[in-house]
Amino acid sequence: MLLFPLVLFPFLLLLLYFIVRPRPVNIPIKNRHVFITGGSSGIGLALAHQAASQGARVSLLARSLSKLEEAKQSIRLSSGVDVSIFAADVRDYYAVQKAINDAGPIDVLVVNQGVFVPQELEKQGLEEVKFMIDVNLMGSFNVIKAVLPLMKERKDRGPTSIALMSSQAGQVGVYGYTAYSASKFGLRGLAEALQQEVIADNIHVTLIFPPDTDTPGFEQESKVRPELTTILAGSSGSMKADKVAKKALDGIKSGSFIVPCNFEGQMLAIATAGLSPQRSFLMAFFEVAFIGICRLVALFFQWNWYGSIEQWHAKKKEK
Amino acid sequence: MVLFVLLLLPILLLLLYFIVRPRPLTIPIKNRHVFITGGSIGIGLAIAKQAASEGARISLLARSLDKLEEAKQSIRQAYQVDVAIFAADVRDYDAVQSAIKEAGPIDVLVVNHGVYVIQELENQGLDVVKFMIDVNLTGSFNVIKAALPLMKDRKDKWPASIALMSSMAGQVGIYGYAAYSATKFGLRGLAESLQQEVIEDNIHVSIIFPPVTETPGIDEARKNMPELSKIIVGSGVMKAEEIGKITVDGIKCGSFSIPCNFLGQTFAIATAGVSPQRSFLMASLEVVFAGLFRFGGLLFQWNLYGIIEKWHAQKKQ
Repeated sequence: MLLFPLVLFPFLLLLLYFIVRPRPVNIPIKNRHVFITGGSSGIGLALAHQAASQGARVSLLARSLSKLEEAKQSIRLSSGVDVSIFAADVRDYYAVQKAINDAGPIDVLVVNQGVFVPQELEKQGLEEVKFMIDVNLMGSFNVIKAVLPLMKERKDRGPTSIALMSSQAGQVGVYGYTAYSASKFGLRGLAEALQQEVIADNIHVTLIFPPDTDTPGFEQESKVRPELTTILAGSSGSMKADKVAKKALDGIKSGSFIVPCNFEGQMLAIATAGLSPQRSFLMAFFEVAFIGICRLVALFFQWNWYGSIEQWHAKKKEK
Repeated sequence: MVLFVLLLLPILLLLLYFIVRPRPLTIPIKNRHVFITGGSIGIGLAIAKQAASEGARISLLARSLDKLEEAKQSIRQAYQVDVAIFAADVRDYDAVQSAIKEAGPIDVLVVNHGVYVIQELENQGLDVVKFMIDVNLTGSFNVIKAALPLMKDRKDKWPASIALMSSMAGQVGIYGYAAYSATKFGLRGLAESLQQEVIEDNIHVSIIFPPVTETPGIDEARKNMPELSKIIVGSGVMKAEEIGKITVDGIKCGSFSIPCNFLGQTFAIATAGVSPQRSFLMASLEVVFAGLFRFGGLLFQWNLYGIIEKWHAQKKQ
């Protein structure tokens, strides 16, 4: 009886080795051009530091010229590398296009800009909803659309990357995150479709799913977060920006479609593997083997979350 | 080994029976107010007809007053009920809010409106991308935000429903569907979060995932669709009436995910992820078969990328 899995597993592994699409790929970043939006602070800045120290040529795009100057300084101090900086708002296509044309052909595009304002939809102003959708989702379309033509026509036909910064809130919706989760889930629909459209040009799409990360943005967000969001989101830990950046960069270099950043993130990634591509036959094996258990765990989380929501409302009523 | 499984299964079923959240429930629609956006044609109209046939009071919101009048006529002829009609563009919050206030407290909100233009992102104008995001995603936020306060304050404390029309392109991204899939995936993020926010008010969120459906919009979309998208999506269609019935049935069960055919059901199990599941039976199927369907998903990708590779190779020749 024990023989059955012992025979099945190698067979499954072998089968998956041949089945997984797109094929695995390695994307070098040394001496290649890495362009990071939202690159002046937080995860974007950490990515810039690490890419620069790995020998990449780095360009940063963000809204604030002064924050970009600070970022440029700090990278020069830590790794002696000079990065190019471009001030533009991702909502402004023409500004983005100009910056990207000035920056020159891009090998690794990291669409990392993002804003987040957690609040119950009932209480949240529609301008804030629109803000998140415009920056996180429409802004990403603007950036990708500006980069695509040059990427497709590049001279060196080596593999290139379009990486999108999502969030664990892009794997599961949480109380207070209707607009943010909507924008981050949206990135996945974009990514799954885009990968099929650009695979023939040796362009590889990556989605990164960090948990709460120690950044200036998060600090702002924590101040206005609904209590219930904090209670529910506490189920996953928080991470430092440089750790997230390392996971992101490693994932980009291996062309992984989905890049989780911590253990809970890995379980979330397996639970939500859905119909997304998987290049690693090993990872595919884990997904097939463990998605059932991860779904069971997810159902427990729902039980726990809805219990917490019920309790919280009951306490509020008492007061 | 077989014994082990036979023992495990009832334990799993029992465990899930107690675990599943939110709890199962029934949402009646007879004599209740069903408000449907994008209700003048296609799936929206089919939902209206189905709900009308079950005794609901119907309101339709759409852009074109003419189409709304036609819809109203056709429902009156078929079911002898009068529906209320409101002309508004979901991108215009004030117009939506005004229509919803006039319509009165809503029991079942069906956020069904949607536009789709299928094209490679490289070839698609950003104005078209923006159009889809503004209508399908932001427009849905407008509608829900306008309806929520009255829904939360409703007098009859029966369960209410907010149903969102997604698509199978909201379960998997497909060549040519970057913007459309983005909006439909987005609806799911909205729905998962929203359910946690409104459960306390006995409001229940559903998302429907139809395949390609025979509607007026589809011929237009097909004309301009990239060839590769057509090959991948195939030519099968479902009738709007079928989707209408499946939608109303699903809403009445308060189901979070409502697939519309067998393939959709396998997609739903594969993509169950961390979404809520009220049915312990469905939850068991998800836990037991997610692995198999993930494997199916990987085969699907293998086939998909094979098609794309072949198509490009042929084009080069």
